[in-house]
Amino acid sequence: MSAHRTRRELLAAGARLAPLTPAGAGAAALIFPAAAQAVRAPHIQKFPMPVFDETDRLQRLIRLELLLLYCYRQVLGAGILNHGAQVALATFPAHEEAHVNALERRLRARGGAVPPGPVSHAQANRYLAHRGVGGRLGQLKGPLDAVRLLLTLEQVTIGAYNMALTGVQDTDLVELICQIMANEAQHDAMLGMQLPPFKPASAAPYGLVSGLQ
Amino acid sequence: MVTTDGAPSRRAFLSGAGAALAGVGAVALGGCGSAGKAADAPGDAPQPLSPAVAHDDVAILTRALDLERRTVTAYVAAIPLLPRPEAHAANQFLADELEHAGQLIGLIRAAGGIGPPRADSYPFANPPTTPAQVLALLHSLESQQIGLYLRAIPRLAPGPIRAAVSSILTVDAEHVTLLRLQQGQTPVPGPFVTGSE
Repeated sequence: MSAHRTRRELLAAGARLAPLTPAGAGAAALIFPAAAQAVRAPHIQKFPMPVFDETDRLQRLIRLELLLLYCYRQVLGAGILNHGAQVALATFPAHEEAHVNALERRLRARGGAVPPGPVSHAQANRYLAHRGVGGRLGQLKGPLDAVRLLLTLEQVTIGAYNMALTGVQDTDLVELICQIMANEAQHDAMLGMQLPPFKPASAAPYGLVSGLQ
Repeated sequence: MVTTDGAPSRRAFLSGAGAALAGVGAVALGGCGSAGKAADAPGDAPQPLSPAVAHDDVAILTRALDLERRTVTAYVAAIPLLPRPEAHAANQFLADELEHAGQLIGLIRAAGGIGPPRADSYPFANPPTTPAQVLALLHSLESQQIGLYLRAIPRLAPGPIRAAVSSILTVDAEHVTLLRLQQGQTPVPGPFVTGSE
């Protein structure tokens, strides 16, 4: 299965899932009160899943983590964020680096080759465009624009981990994915705190978070 | 919701809830207590999952549901003790926890299981009396849930069930981060969420 075809399948699947994803325009959690939600059918992906082996999945996740790491470094290095956001996000690149290292260890143990990350703004912007992330490095129009780019990319990353959980069988790897995915959700919440109205309730507005897929 | 046969401090914890509990409590009862009843409603049953959830999975989900209900109880009782900004956030978190309970009940029902009834009470050893204690209790309960999900998700057999439950884990991780922020702690203390944060 080629990478190109696989991405198309993923996007098509994501479009079908959009009404159930938190970041989707029709996010159910926004529309329905919690009490009504409480007896709704479970949030389960029912679309046909593309078949990946664990090596392939790990490579995909590492590519995404490397893109995220690159974007954090560039945004923080550009000094575009306000002071509060700069402080709040300061440790996140180190977190992403730790994720990459942990995933790389699992990948090498399976004999897989570690994929390279982006080495330039142009390359990173191509990857962002390919994943449907709005905003481009080098063209950000202020702190909110920068935060939105990082927020969307975090949500895409969460979606990739959520998708990976449907196919990974190794229980140790499943646990690692959960630990990282939850950490990305924490980043997501802190990024949300940097956007108006700068309040916790709006930073975590959804009852179920499976990311952008 | 919370046992009333305990120490005076627990009574104080409950009485502090006061009238504000009426509204929120109704939502909580609607979300939790009525969920089991809704499971029996004709025409409302979800389609069975494919592949089927194993018996062990139902046991795992049931344990998670019990903890979610305990956390819901704590939020309902604790919110009136919080200052307005923290209470606003806690109300949102309560709604999330109710949704988690509903999600778990749906998964259990879809697996052919029956969502167990709520316990008559969920006693807390040291009921909080100050906002700081309330936040610490909520933080502790959210962390317990994260720990449970991290242990449980790898044991769930079908991938889609793992993904569905992980969408609860992510939200609880967000809650912990924001509760830590409200407590003046480092909101994201490390790169891996372990449930001990």
